[in-house]
Amino acid sequence: MGTATLEAPAVDAAVARRRRRKYGGIHAWLFALPALAVYLIFLVYPALSSLWFSFTDWDGLSPTYNVVGLENYINMPKDPVVIQALINNIIWTVITIVFPVVIGLALAILLNGKVRGKPVLRLIFYTPAVLPLVAIASIWGWLYNPDYGAINSFLRLIGLGSLAQPWLGQDSTALAAVMVPAIWLRVGFPMLLYLAALQGISQDMYEAATVDGATKSQQFWHITMPSLRPAHYIVLALSLIDSFKVFDLIYAMTYGGPGTATQVMGTWMYFNVFQYYQAGYGTAIAVVITIIAIAVSIPYVRSQTKEHAV
Amino acid sequence: MSSSAEVAPVATLPDAHVAPSDELSREPKRKGGIGITIVLTLVALLWLSPLVLLVTTALRPLSDFVANGALSWPQEWTLQNFADAWGVGNFATTYRNSLFLLILKVPLGVLISAMLAFALAKLRLRFGTAIMFAVFLGLTIPIYITIVPVFVLLRSFGAIDSIPGLVGPYLAFGIPFEVLVLQSFFRQLPDELIEAAKMDGAGPWRIFFTLILPLSTPALVTVFILDAVATWNEFLFALILLSSDANKTIPVGLLNFQGQFSNNNTGLAAGILIAVVPILIAYIFLQRWIVGGLTAGATKG
Repeated sequence: MGTATLEAPAVDAAVARRRRRKYGGIHAWLFALPALAVYLIFLVYPALSSLWFSFTDWDGLSPTYNVVGLENYINMPKDPVVIQALINNIIWTVITIVFPVVIGLALAILLNGKVRGKPVLRLIFYTPAVLPLVAIASIWGWLYNPDYGAINSFLRLIGLGSLAQPWLGQDSTALAAVMVPAIWLRVGFPMLLYLAALQGISQDMYEAATVDGATKSQQFWHITMPSLRPAHYIVLALSLIDSFKVFDLIYAMTYGGPGTATQVMGTWMYFNVFQYYQAGYGTAIAVVITIIAIAVSIPYVRSQTKEHAV
Repeated sequence: MSSSAEVAPVATLPDAHVAPSDELSREPKRKGGIGITIVLTLVALLWLSPLVLLVTTALRPLSDFVANGALSWPQEWTLQNFADAWGVGNFATTYRNSLFLLILKVPLGVLISAMLAFALAKLRLRFGTAIMFAVFLGLTIPIYITIVPVFVLLRSFGAIDSIPGLVGPYLAFGIPFEVLVLQSFFRQLPDELIEAAKMDGAGPWRIFFTLILPLSTPALVTVFILDAVATWNEFLFALILLSSDANKTIPVGLLNFQGQFSNNNTGLAAGILIAVVPILIAYIFLQRWIVGGLTAGATKG
């Protein structure tokens, strides 16, 4: 309101009114306040304080700690488990995105054809996604049981008993074994999104292409795939955000083991903080993975904001 | 997604144009397609097979399971496993706690998120774009980066190991998704309605409660359900912030139970079912809201 003093009171009032109309004023803030306060207190502030703890040698229990600067970050590349966890995180992210997206797309294309019982089929494929991850871990831990589990029983039943093995109990198979339930539960989401997107594609395009003599595969690559571009973007962005955060399934299924075979950054952070009392180092691990997660998803967040901004 | 199933486990909806009915199932009926139908049915059976095995195992005596193996059809049927699992798993307590948390958290979360969404969509909140960006960024933040400070914070309030203590962090991690969906729904409501209400002398609160919220019932229901699923399934906060058995929620209780019952396959299966059956039933009845909400963004293209 710096200019207001130079103008007549009537103009001043008009400016104030216009300004109030432009922004919502005090009422807008009253509406925004409760959610913003909760968000700041329980998400923004803790995230920033973790950043602070990552520069200290705090054990998580003592009332005092020393600031050690970047020491935790410098130690990280020397920690073989961090390297392994990071590699596992990357493998996890790639596999639990590629397989669900490809399978989900295939199911969506099939479901979009002439199929009976579509609502029931769709319901079934999305079902695992609504279960608690701990329950999914329990179910699959039970299927993988070396002695009584259904998977080894099945192998023995079809005469491949020699392939029966302790899937979760050995380094060579543990990570793959934990990724299978992740794929199982994550196929439903891309399937739903692709199915919705496919139904938005006009049939006229296919008819025109058929008239022009385009083969089914040409139609797929030149009509279907380009039309699905927005869906690809959303599916990939959301899957990436989700995959990076992996914790529950691995914690509940293998506890990072055997040894450190299935450690990911999330679980290794947990072990450092709550088992080894190295809260400073643990939070530094969390900071690294969070920064990566934010960096890869900023384009998505920005596009969402831009789309909705006035 | 879950992670899927994390609070984040529930997948996020990119843009909301939430319709009360499920557009996907309302398309013209087409006949035929026997071949594809058979293929998809087989895949669907494979997809369901872990849950089917869980049911057949839970309904047979342990001796029958051990003698005939996981893949055999039960020779005898029993409900005893459920009775055993219910007691050992402390499910009466964990159910009560999860339900209490749900009732405490979800309505409050939807209300405050709707208020913020209204401020962003219709009240031209100052710095609205920056606030929106900061809130949406919350979708990408993993819970574990906040866990140590949240623990310290709650301990200083004396709110560790209590269900109400979980409400704050749960609300914070639910807000980004709920605001994303609701503000984009509110944005589609015509401004003329609000202007007309203003002419009649209604203030922003009356407009919000008597106009905006009733008009947005479909979006509110979708957000409510998805948030309820995420809250019911959340694991990490509950694992770290709750310590006594009397305060555990279903996912943490199930993890303990899994450890105790690892040698009793039929009891374990019954316990897992006890933990998941309510959410499966809710999913079957409410699926059109869930599917409609999740796919709203993609249909809009």
